[in-house]
Amino acid sequence: MSGAADTETPVLEVRGLGRRFGGLHAVADLSFSVPPGQVVGVIGPNGAGKSTFVNLVTGHLKPTSGQVLLEGQDITGEPPWKVARARVARTFQIVKPLRGMTVRENVAVGLLYGPDASRHSGAALRLADEVLERVGLVALGDVTPGELTVADARRLELAKALALRPKLLLLDEVMAGLRPGEIEPSLELIRSLSADGMTVLVIEHVMRAIVAVSDRVLVLHQGRLLTDGPPREVLADPRVIEAYLGHRYGRTHGADTDREQPRD
Amino acid sequence: MTSVLASSRRAWLPWAVGVLVLAAGFGLQTQLYTDQERVVTAVLMYVVLAQSWNLIGGYTGYASFGQVAFFGLGGYVTGVLMWQLRLPFWWALAASGLLAAGFGALIGLPLLRLKGHYFAIAALGVAEGTREVITNLTSVTGGGGGLTVPTFGADAPTAYLGNDGFYVFFLLLAAFAVLTVTLVARSRFGFGLRAINQDEDAAAAMGVPTTRVKVAAFSLSGLLAGLAGSGYAFQAVNIYPGPMFDVQITVLMVVMVVIGGSGTVLGPVLGAVGLQLLSEWLRANYTTYHTFILGTIIVIAVVLFPGGLVTYVRGGLRTGQWSLLTSIRRYRL
Amino acid sequence: MSQFLQATLYGVLQGGLFALIAVGFSLVWGVMNVINIAQGAFVVLGAYLGWGLATYAGIDPFLGMLVAAPVMFALGYALQRFLINLVVNAPVFITLLLTFGLDLMLTQAMNIAFTANYRAIPTSYASRGVEVLPDVFLPLGRFLTFGVGVGVTLLLAWVMSRTRTGLSISATGMDRGAARLMGINARHVYGLVFGLGAATAGMAGAMYGTVGTFSPADAAHLTLISFVIAVLGGLGNPYGALIGGLVLGLIEAWGGQYLPGSWENALAFGVFVVVLLLRPQGLVGRSYYAARLEV
Repeated sequence: MSGAADTETPVLEVRGLGRRFGGLHAVADLSFSVPPGQVVGVIGPNGAGKSTFVNLVTGHLKPTSGQVLLEGQDITGEPPWKVARARVARTFQIVKPLRGMTVRENVAVGLLYGPDASRHSGAALRLADEVLERVGLVALGDVTPGELTVADARRLELAKALALRPKLLLLDEVMAGLRPGEIEPSLELIRSLSADGMTVLVIEHVMRAIVAVSDRVLVLHQGRLLTDGPPREVLADPRVIEAYLGHRYGRTHGADTDREQPRD
Repeated sequence: MTSVLASSRRAWLPWAVGVLVLAAGFGLQTQLYTDQERVVTAVLMYVVLAQSWNLIGGYTGYASFGQVAFFGLGGYVTGVLMWQLRLPFWWALAASGLLAAGFGALIGLPLLRLKGHYFAIAALGVAEGTREVITNLTSVTGGGGGLTVPTFGADAPTAYLGNDGFYVFFLLLAAFAVLTVTLVARSRFGFGLRAINQDEDAAAAMGVPTTRVKVAAFSLSGLLAGLAGSGYAFQAVNIYPGPMFDVQITVLMVVMVVIGGSGTVLGPVLGAVGLQLLSEWLRANYTTYHTFILGTIIVIAVVLFPGGLVTYVRGGLRTGQWSLLTSIRRYRL
Repeated sequence: MSQFLQATLYGVLQGGLFALIAVGFSLVWGVMNVINIAQGAFVVLGAYLGWGLATYAGIDPFLGMLVAAPVMFALGYALQRFLINLVVNAPVFITLLLTFGLDLMLTQAMNIAFTANYRAIPTSYASRGVEVLPDVFLPLGRFLTFGVGVGVTLLLAWVMSRTRTGLSISATGMDRGAARLMGINARHVYGLVFGLGAATAGMAGAMYGTVGTFSPADAAHLTLISFVIAVLGGLGNPYGALIGGLVLGLIEAWGGQYLPGSWENALAFGVFVVVLLLRPQGLVGRSYYAARLEV
């Protein structure tokens, strides 16, 4: 399970990764590695540093300490566009569609500038449809993002990431605000991406999703790694419960992973 | 937002239209009196300038209020090279373009890290500063007293082009500017610019090397404005720092693009033609009040059509909503 | 040495007037994110008001300034409330274009009404000087403009931090949405701010006319120095306007004294751009303004 001996180079390895803002350590001393093809859930209460962590890996923020290695290569502090071209893709927690452009054009940008850069906008627009097919948006190709539902907007966000044909995909709270009926198709999508060999980090609050799709779960608390293990073990860990619900609850209650944990 | 002109099915259509317009431009020349010809020449120059601003302000979303710096620089490079070194105009033109583009790359690197208001007025500061530097390099540029491009007799490195010649020059330059923007709009580069405009972080996350792309756009916009400045200097013969770096020129560029429709190929052309012809008509008929009326028109146009006339008309055609108050309702406090 | 001291004194005195010229511009930009290109035109209008009162009513400009202020305030309030408020939520350059159009209108109106001839508002005492140090003269007129300039700017700072109106202005500047939720009428507050900006500009203008000549052609230059001072000192901050005014005054004075030609102008713009690049919140401004204004 977690930490199993691997002879392959891990897709992602962070060593002592940290980011300070003045006196505040948003992320401190994070160290772990992710072997290829694993689906890793990343959970933690609000303010635990999950989004900061994503930004550190993708280059939107520079670490103040530590390293980020992609398949053994040091990508610490590289600008986001270089990280993207190294086939690391991410979705944004608050989706960032390119509003004045159609859904197809949104995806085409990634195809024009990503690792498989195509020179011609015409070819990119055609290839974009394949990506849209994968996420189920091909019928909405000519629509502008302003006209999309929340669930479809999330799919667009994912399509933009998939346009990079990533080795490593970081999903930042893609399930937030989705109705139960919308969560299952998203889970299916993640499973199919993983089946294709993609390594996926799923940052989430929706525990049901985490349990359903993760091979392993990392828990962040106050910027540090609290624990790392199989989903059910982690969710039953009293320290994790305490981190989410506070000291008194942690002492007196066990975990019940069949019920969705409240989020703060 | 794919316009009729950009649809891939009739890809040849814009080219056909362009060739027709160019031919019409040549044809028009034979029909005009001298002073009318000069008016149209000025319109054509503003088409170039408007497209220049369109590239950086319209497509990329970095609204520069210092664009006249490139115009003035281009003009002075040409003026100085022709006056001091007796260089033929065509060499000076090339030098102006290159230096203006280079200047754009040089100042673009630090400046384009700023956003919004800060970028706009930092660019203004650069334009003003450039004017002051040129004013003070008296031995090279003639300083505040201006310089005179040698254009007559054996002294002239290139024979003066004359009204007809400058008409053709600016017609071709305008065609070049429109062609450049058309090619950019459909190209990978254009996608990058629009992506940066919409959301720079998202663009970066998709592999767009934002700094490089922004600076390239700024540099290209500088090239166009520099070439226009070069031609203008030759045409005007006597150039002074004040008028060559007049902030009003920048504002006119911006108004033309905004009113015509920024981030489109056609918008700046319409804006330039409309506003410049209007300005000329006002100047001819209401000499005393013409600037005042121009100011009033700018105020009204900006309040009612901040998205440009092209967007207003398209929106009206699509939704049947022709109310003049739509923009006000959207943007008012 | 006395030359240096004279230049320094001159720069400081100029700085006081500069501060008042620019403080309204800085406030309007800092609180409302509106860049008022017509600032210089407001100053010149104030000068004409002062001149008119002096010429036709025999009122001393330093008193006439007190009449000009409410007139300018009313003009500014109306412009903001009924015109500029219409585009406040539009992209950056829209307000810039609007105020530029207003600038054109105002400057041309003054050209038409008063012609482009240079005028001045002479007073009996302005040109008198006092020798404060060997070979260093303190011109009385400039000393007065310095005093009033600094005084009114400090008064504005006091109003901003100690009165209810001032605090509602600051609150609106920091978070318009929250301020409105607390019952502040943002439309009215915006009008007040622009009105204050116009009033201080007008007062500065009336004084400007006493220490030199003026004409509508000066408007552009006055707007530019407002820009430089606002950026140097930090937006929305009257103390910053004082610092910015002082710095610019000294650059101009020392530059004029020791640099050939008019290089001090190029230097001023150079400093302006550098400050924008390295410390956009200005020498005195607080970081959150700069961060908030990255729109």
